Amino acid sequence: MLHYLKVWGASARYSMVRTLMFRGDFFVWSLVELFWMSVNLLLVAVIYRHTTNVAGWSKYEMMLLVGTSMLIQRFLMGFFWSSIFEMGRNVRTGNFDFFLAQPGNIMFMATTRKLDPDSLINSAVALSVVIYSARQLGLHPGFGEVALYAGLVFCGLVIHYSILVLSVSAVFWLTSAQGVEGGYFTLTEFSRLPREAFKGVTNVLFVWLLPVVVVSNAPARVLLHGFEVRWALWLAGLAALWFALAVFVFHRGLRRYASASS
Amino acid sequence: MRAAFEKYRQAFLVGLQSNIVYRWNFAVRGFFSLFHLAVVFILWGAAFAGTDSIGGFDLRQTLTYFVTLLVLQFFISAFNEDYQISEEIRNGLINQFLLKPINYFLYRFSIFVAARLVSGALILLPLIGALPVIHDSLSFPSEPWRLGVALPALAMSALIQFSIAYCFGMLTFWFLEIQGFVILSMAVEAVLGGQIFPLDLMPEPIFRAAQYLPFYYQMYFPGAILTGRLGLADALQGLAIQAVWVAVLLVANQILWARGLRRHTAVGG
Repeated sequence: MLHYLKVWGASARYSMVRTLMFRGDFFVWSLVELFWMSVNLLLVAVIYRHTTNVAGWSKYEMMLLVGTSMLIQRFLMGFFWSSIFEMGRNVRTGNFDFFLAQPGNIMFMATTRKLDPDSLINSAVALSVVIYSARQLGLHPGFGEVALYAGLVFCGLVIHYSILVLSVSAVFWLTSAQGVEGGYFTLTEFSRLPREAFKGVTNVLFVWLLPVVVVSNAPARVLLHGFEVRWALWLAGLAALWFALAVFVFHRGLRRYASASS
Repeated sequence: MRAAFEKYRQAFLVGLQSNIVYRWNFAVRGFFSLFHLAVVFILWGAAFAGTDSIGGFDLRQTLTYFVTLLVLQFFISAFNEDYQISEEIRNGLINQFLLKPINYFLYRFSIFVAARLVSGALILLPLIGALPVIHDSLSFPSEPWRLGVALPALAMSALIQFSIAYCFGMLTFWFLEIQGFVILSMAVEAVLGGQIFPLDLMPEPIFRAAQYLPFYYQMYFPGAILTGRLGLADALQGLAIQAVWVAVLLVANQILWARGLRRHTAVGG
């Protein structure tokens, strides 16, 4: 465990040094993420100019949900996005050999190599949205609720990570994972909607089959309604299930990897 | 004139062939767009649960607006033309155009038209598949003038979208990496182009101000004409402003090209 922490620490240091070398890029990309987060909040503001609730959620409840969704997404982008996205390209070009030769678990090495500080900076903005919304709602969560919220955000991050690894692992079979980026962002759009808005087929598909709604709804509900065992267990169980599936599929795919000729 | 037309017709045909190669990419993108449409239906369906009208329009009119915009996006939006132009400048591929009697803007525009024909045709397939489900949620106005006004509006929207992408591509003469600028601009265009929400739902002064920006004419304007969100007088006034923006952007394209070429260095044969 300590070994992996040291490896991750070295990767993090490398990413920070690289960011300091390209400060202009860091500034522009931070701004890009900030703009897109503002777009999501603007949508909420515009809708609530014309209605008082959406699926039983008030304006600031909705902002808390959107803030939670953005927080999970920023963590994913900050800690894993670049590495996982490059994995698809590396498998196609044969550069994935580099990870096979490293001293550790290949999935860990391949998916944690790069950090994106611009996304991590913006996670503070997403957290501010959550705190601001909670204050507007007059919420005063205790230590236990905040800890549970953090735990469920972590579970959400695990689920997003697993879905992305699963999607990009398709490259072992298809030799190209183009379109995965857009597909992932489309699916995360669902995480900004309240669970109560889903009815019929969409309820089955996006709430029960794909865990794209529960990832943000479960942590948000902890702050809004306190500890709910059902939601917490549901999300934790899903995180374990999807992570196991990602590990399984990644390693099955790895068997098919044939260096530059794959 | 005929020779010039033939030149760009050939560029169009080459563009058509090369884009048909990427038909699966467009098809996948079209498929995922249906998920985006599902988000729109769920969100606005929930927003309309407690009210019959938002901004003077009912749920069916609002959903029709978003479906129309989705289709228009595949027919008139610039997808990755800015990147393609940027790559051609960075890799020196534009050198060949400097030595031939061919206008680079018209060459790229011919390829853009071909690409949108392919992507437009491919979005219709999943949409036809989804039609039995969404049919009851659609409500188009019946006034015939809308089609007459929408056609020139659509043509000019395509020109505006391509021109903006072309301008960003031209930035490569000054900057090594334009991806950040492009995605930053996409956020602005998505909001002020009405892709996130209909612009008429914004406060009146902001909506009025948006009408003087080019982004308004990218998607919202033709979409609003086709879905009944704009009256005839507003549509005609909009066409005039849109024409001014087309002219401004075409001039900006030429200036950037001429200025950029002064900085360009062609190496090798």
